Amino acid sequence: MRKLWSEFNLPTKISVTWVSIILFLVITGSFLPLPNPTEYDPNASGVGLFSPGHILGTDINGYDLLSNVVNGARISILIALISVGVGGLIGSAIGIGSAYIRGKLDITVNLLFNILLSIPNLVLGLALVAILATSADPSTPIDPNRRVFIIIFSLTVVIIPILGRIARGATLSWVNREFIVAARSMGMKDRHIIFKHIVPNVLPAIYAVIFLAIGVVIVAEGALSLLGVGIIDGVSWGAMIGRVAGDFTYAPQSMYVPVVVLALTVIAFNQIGDHLRSQLDSREGKI
Amino acid sequence: MGKNLGWINNVLKRIIPLLLVIFGSTLILSLLLQLLPVGLKDLYIAPGDPASIREQLKSLGLDGNAFTFYFHWLNDFIHGNFGYIIFPGGGREPVSNRLATALPISLRLVVYVQIFSLLISVPLGIYTAYRAGRRSDRVISYSLFAAASVPNFVFGLLLAIFVGVQLGWLPPLGYIDPSENLVGHIKTMILPVLSLSIPTIATYSRLLRSDVIATLREDYVTMAASKGLSNRRILFTHVLRPSSTTLFTSAALNMGALIGGTLVIEQIFSIPGLGTEIGIAIFSRQFFALQSYIAIIAVGYVLFNGIIDVVLGFVDPRTRERRNA
Repeated sequence: MRKLWSEFNLPTKISVTWVSIILFLVITGSFLPLPNPTEYDPNASGVGLFSPGHILGTDINGYDLLSNVVNGARISILIALISVGVGGLIGSAIGIGSAYIRGKLDITVNLLFNILLSIPNLVLGLALVAILATSADPSTPIDPNRRVFIIIFSLTVVIIPILGRIARGATLSWVNREFIVAARSMGMKDRHIIFKHIVPNVLPAIYAVIFLAIGVVIVAEGALSLLGVGIIDGVSWGAMIGRVAGDFTYAPQSMYVPVVVLALTVIAFNQIGDHLRSQLDSREGKI
Repeated sequence: MGKNLGWINNVLKRIIPLLLVIFGSTLILSLLLQLLPVGLKDLYIAPGDPASIREQLKSLGLDGNAFTFYFHWLNDFIHGNFGYIIFPGGGREPVSNRLATALPISLRLVVYVQIFSLLISVPLGIYTAYRAGRRSDRVISYSLFAAASVPNFVFGLLLAIFVGVQLGWLPPLGYIDPSENLVGHIKTMILPVLSLSIPTIATYSRLLRSDVIATLREDYVTMAASKGLSNRRILFTHVLRPSSTTLFTSAALNMGALIGGTLVIEQIFSIPGLGTEIGIAIFSRQFFALQSYIAIIAVGYVLFNGIIDVVLGFVDPRTRERRNA
């Protein structure tokens, strides 16, 4: 572990620390001694940073910003981890499988990935959420939990072709190497070849992209909320931004705080992904 | 004979997958409408006698299954009919009316951003590559990395608060058409263009930097330097040209991110472009309009990339191999 840490450069160290803090807050958020995120303080509406009792200040309604950011981290990170986890798993399985089998199946899968990638990812996510989250009766909005589920589902669909294509490309570059051909000629089962020889070699490429994909999902969730189809009631970072997007002149910190936290988190995930990718490049270079 | 027709073959080999992708993406969008929790018929068919209902179903393509609906839409789309916005009483407005005003505004925004980003990122990329490893390069490169990761709506919101509201230098929202007032147009476009450009500039300069560094290691550059050519001459005539194809390819691929970003930025700055129309279509439950708007984005994105691909293939044969890999 210490060896791993010493290999990081300064920006990566900062990023890993930041991501750890965010993950810590996601896990312990509800036990921390913070004001209730859904209760407003009538004596402190719109107070600035470092006010007594409200370290990051409050928004125009008197909601404590720190506790809202901590609370929002849970939904934002949860959405990102689940969509990237599930989407990555499905995408890698399809990508590795089709590149290993090749032939017509692979051509079809590649075409499908290209079709999904031909719609810009935010636009595809927006279309899916807009259509699935329509309520049958316009006067009653759909259940918030159902909305979270729809957003996770839509972003998973967005992630599948991104990671699927990476997995497919990486598999194609390994499937013709001598050791795979040798394993096959020795009569090793396809299942064993895939899990013993291909997956361990393809995984590093996927790890690097997974961190970038988490960034993509956090940004998409924020953008969807800004467009008004994302999470509502301020329970995610995007929703906090969306809630005050129309009117932030009275308490600008209600905009700065979630925006800066979201941006720092995306930068940190991208930095870690970039670090993994540069290590991957030097590893591939040696082979 | 066969040899002379090689380029036609080449172009066909690119066009057929493009058409398949366009067909597939519009089909998926059309099938998505079947997943709506409300039936299209319940939403858009005004009550009336059976004959008028049949007439309405037929004109909207709803008189068959999901696939006949798609082909009805596709036939209209190819003929330039993008469907209708249907008002509760049964009145209709063609979507093409809205597109005629909204699409040029969004396109203008995207073109401004691409031009501005390329103008800034070319010198920045070359400078950081030339100074690679020194302190100034390290500082600029890390700032660029951070800027490339920050979503453009963050820049949009921060610029709107700082420059638009607190400093009051530029209007924080609104759009003025250039035919009305050119100065006003430029003033209203500065903040949206800047917020979309900052991440774009960062992405392009980083790409150009790594490409220029690779080119600087080539033998012919050492040769040019040993002949005594000035650094400026080497950088701009011998290095920039081979490095720029990657830049243009990535500028084309970045179009997708830019279109997505435009949707959000238009909402933040209240610009009446395609993004705003998409928002209106979602909230007023105009799914025919939504389908056509998104199809136009997908088709435009695919065609644009296809054209850039073919053009760059002619300009630099090496990119054919590179992009197919």
